[in-house]
Amino acid sequence: MGEPQETHFAFDFVPLQSPDQTRIFPFYENLKKGRLTTTRCKGCGATHWQPRVVCPDCNGDEMDWVDLPANGKLFAFTAVYAGAPLGMERDVPFVVAVVELDGAPMKVVARIDDAKYEDLKIGDPVRLKVHELADGRVWFRFVPT
Amino acid sequence: MRKVAIVGTGLTKWGVRGATYKELVQEAGKDLFDDVPNLDKPEVDSLFVGSALVDRLAFQAYPAPIVAEQLGLKPSRMAMRTEMACVSGQSAIRVAYASIVSGLSDVAVVVGAEKMNLPSMAEVQSSMACVLDREWDGVNGLNAPPYFALVAQRHMHEYGTTEEQMAEVSVKNHDHAATNPYAHFPKRVTKEKVLGSTRIAPPLKLLDCSGITDGAAAVLMTHGDAAKRFTDTPVFIEGLGQAQSGSLVVNLESLTTWLPLKRAAADAFKMAGVTVHDMDLAETHDCFTISEIMEYEDLGLCGKGEGGTYVTEGQSRIGGELPTNLRGGLLGCGHPLGATGVAQAIEVTRQFRAQVPQERYVGGDWGLCHNLSGNANNHAVMVLHRGG
Ligand SMILES: [Zn+2]
Repeated sequence: MGEPQETHFAFDFVPLQSPDQTRIFPFYENLKKGRLTTTRCKGCGATHWQPRVVCPDCNGDEMDWVDLPANGKLFAFTAVYAGAPLGMERDVPFVVAVVELDGAPMKVVARIDDAKYEDLKIGDPVRLKVHELADGRVWFRFVPT
Repeated sequence: MRKVAIVGTGLTKWGVRGATYKELVQEAGKDLFDDVPNLDKPEVDSLFVGSALVDRLAFQAYPAPIVAEQLGLKPSRMAMRTEMACVSGQSAIRVAYASIVSGLSDVAVVVGAEKMNLPSMAEVQSSMACVLDREWDGVNGLNAPPYFALVAQRHMHEYGTTEEQMAEVSVKNHDHAATNPYAHFPKRVTKEKVLGSTRIAPPLKLLDCSGITDGAAAVLMTHGDAAKRFTDTPVFIEGLGQAQSGSLVVNLESLTTWLPLKRAAADAFKMAGVTVHDMDLAETHDCFTISEIMEYEDLGLCGKGEGGTYVTEGQSRIGGELPTNLRGGLLGCGHPLGATGVAQAIEVTRQFRAQVPQERYVGGDWGLCHNLSGNANNHAVMVLHRGG
């Protein structure tokens, strides 16, 4: 997810994050403060990934924002050596993983920065890193601890 | 209930083609119409088009009227595009089946087509990556090869599957493709060559992956009473199943067991009144070598975790328990997304009609087609039976 010279939104992978584009803008505001968060349904208590505006379990539409652990372990990982999409071609090779969050029944997919594929193994600990784009948007990645 | 048959087939040469989407459609149509000389085009009342990424890769939305005009058809009853990523092809056949069974359609053309090679590979890969949830999976650089690499790593971790076993799938399917002039990669490869091929997303290497391929495929379908007007050997669709679960990678029920495949196969076999052990040949969705290994397992051909041994024992080769991917699979033929599911049905049909080269002829009475899409969250299974 590099920073394109010009933004062509048809090929822009990073979600639009402002309140005029999405109702889950608090996710990005929290992330800017270093917090990985998601929604929990006030009606039935279910926590979902990704953040939701309507609960798929009970149809409720009132949500609380809850913090997710900033630490986790590698459940599975690989590295992209070839065939990266636009905006990511210059990043290869980069590691992408399924991270199992510590103490939460939840996994997330994220890039792992500051790591070489060869040096990693399943179960390795990682922690949250906030990646900032030049245009002010943010995304989450992890780094080995 | 009406029976539904495939009564004609058409294919293009698959590969990096100097041909547009519309030209590929014309080529597949010519091959199909040459195969059914008794067809009057005005009899075709319905058209189903399986194309996954035509909007992005050919910059063309709304392909059904375009395909109809390219083929000289004026569908009077049903016309639509079916878009289910890599399952778009079998979805088109499935919808045609439903339409014919219901009586809404009598004679239907199904086309699967994809023009995938553009001057910018990064643009192609971007379009492929948004087959996954673009906002939460694709954004991380996840695409088909890295996703199936995660699957392969877990399968190796949980069951001891090896890169050598995965390589055997590629060797087998390239052996088959070497007999197929329509294939993108009609050349044998050795295990050493697979293991030494360019790293894409470890443990997957170039020859563990199906290609970025242009191609089209078409079939003519009709009901049982009309089938014999077009061919002496209609191929009847006796069972179908399709099941889906999850979208985001982390919300899938399992990375290493494809539960939707088990459900789709159970439905298709129940409907047909047969089991996987009655099949004479199978076309399964070998988008990556690990996929075919998991398909042996989740179709019930071997125990969980034994898929690697199944291929190294030769069970999926000609002469083995279930010859699999005789046209060369996605690994040997390439994978023009919407065309793949249609071409799988064509291979079974041409096998039953003894229209394939002798080196890969198996024939028989029962054939299986399996098509999967996205992060393997949708699986479609079809059971075909030789009529005549
Ligand atoms: Zn709820």
